[in-house]
Amino acid sequence: MSGAFVHDVRLALDAIWKVLLASVLLGAGLPAVFALAIRSLAGGRLVVGRVVAGVLLLVVAYGVASGLLFIVASGQGKDISFAHVIPVISSPS
Amino acid sequence: MSAETLILALVVVTALGFDFTNGFHDTGNAMATSIATGALKPRVAVALSAVLNLAGAFLSVAVALTVTNAVVHIQQKDGTPSPSLTADGGQQLLMLVLGGLIGAIVWNLLTWLLGLPSSSSHALFGGLIGAAIAALGWHGVNWVGDGTKLGGVVGKVILPAVLSPVVACIVAAAGTWMVYRIVLGVAARFTDNGFRWGQIGTASLVSLAHGTSDAQKTMGVITLALIASGHWHSTTSIPVWVKLACALAIATGTYLGGWRIIRTLGKGLVEIEPPQGMAAEASSAAVILASSHLGFALSTTHVATGSILGTGLGKPGAEVRWAVAGRMVMGWLLTLPAAAIVGAAMYGIGHVCGDVGGPVVDVAIMLGLAGYIYLRSRRSAVGAHNVNDEWEGMPASGAAVSAPELTSGGVA
Repeated sequence: MSGAFVHDVRLALDAIWKVLLASVLLGAGLPAVFALAIRSLAGGRLVVGRVVAGVLLLVVAYGVASGLLFIVASGQGKDISFAHVIPVISSPS
Repeated sequence: MSAETLILALVVVTALGFDFTNGFHDTGNAMATSIATGALKPRVAVALSAVLNLAGAFLSVAVALTVTNAVVHIQQKDGTPSPSLTADGGQQLLMLVLGGLIGAIVWNLLTWLLGLPSSSSHALFGGLIGAAIAALGWHGVNWVGDGTKLGGVVGKVILPAVLSPVVACIVAAAGTWMVYRIVLGVAARFTDNGFRWGQIGTASLVSLAHGTSDAQKTMGVITLALIASGHWHSTTSIPVWVKLACALAIATGTYLGGWRIIRTLGKGLVEIEPPQGMAAEASSAAVILASSHLGFALSTTHVATGSILGTGLGKPGAEVRWAVAGRMVMGWLLTLPAAAIVGAAMYGIGHVCGDVGGPVVDVAIMLGLAGYIYLRSRRSAVGAHNVNDEWEGMPASGAAVSAPELTSGGVA
């Protein structure tokens, strides 16, 4: 039992740092990008600010759309890979 | 009605009851922050969350038939019930599942009364573990994984419960800190509206993800009961009515609102502003989706709570009410053993009272406890009208129970 327990702990730690890394990137990074967009919208130079804000909001929209796609794809029992920036959906191997 | 049909009917109805409690227990995970900051009106927030949970429940065609395999040995790897438990026409397995469900429901209702967010999945696991110990002994429980992937009580319940709030807390704290740094000095009229939309979007993602994952568990449990009693044979699909009933149960539960828990999460733990709300829900959505992608089972409740705590730590000068956080952690520690004790007791009582009397007595006890808890909750009712009141514990008792509130049903 203790051996299996140690195994579980090791597997959990293996998984959790990946979760942490991905989550910091998406869960903290995207809100920061969103905040940057709001900042540039509020800035003085109207046209430049709006263009920059638009680009930043596209980045956020990409993140949200990926999340949505992931929920739908995994609900359908598909695998989804983000390895090539554009999400690729496939049947589970 | 034969004894087999009776217990099957009671298991199905009790499972739907559990799904319903699962719904209102978890509304706050997605919507507490949006309600607290006023990004959404309370009723609109719970309605949005309910619709997304409904959609989420229908989105998932993957069958969660093996849901109990994580913690107990009552199913084989392909999802069919263990033959030793179905030798008597499924009676023993159904009794076990019924006991587990009642343990989970009682714990969900008690924590709701106390306004504590706690994981419905862990309550279900706890109830099943207790019933399995009572029915099969210690070896009926799958304590640890097989060494190749995370499994068992340790791998699927305890470790995720310890690690996921910490991860969510770190992510939300980092997000909050950066957001406040970035918009420092920007006029509130720009930030408030922007973050309001950010909050609604991220909270919606959390709701949708919740619908896809949690409704499935009840679908799996009901289908298991149907297979055990010989009413269903496929292990790769579930009956349409099961899917429909579970989706509706979790959505109506969500719509009911679980206001006591929403209040604790939105007002009790941290005073939340729109940027914090967005950071918290973005963190929750990211942690839930990333861990589901990596096969790390975790509870939406633990993640949401960790995220909200994190936004309190990440905002300079914000106050975290550690006493409230401490109560929550205590609740999490007790979830598994408490639900297990009730689950074991229910199995024991059901076993003693026989094939027909057992399930009836069990359900009667559950209804009695549920009624008592509901009446207790009326003494200090929380609803859409007072969910955002200043935090001084629960709102004042007695006077809060007013006639319009009774008729509108916004009392959960």
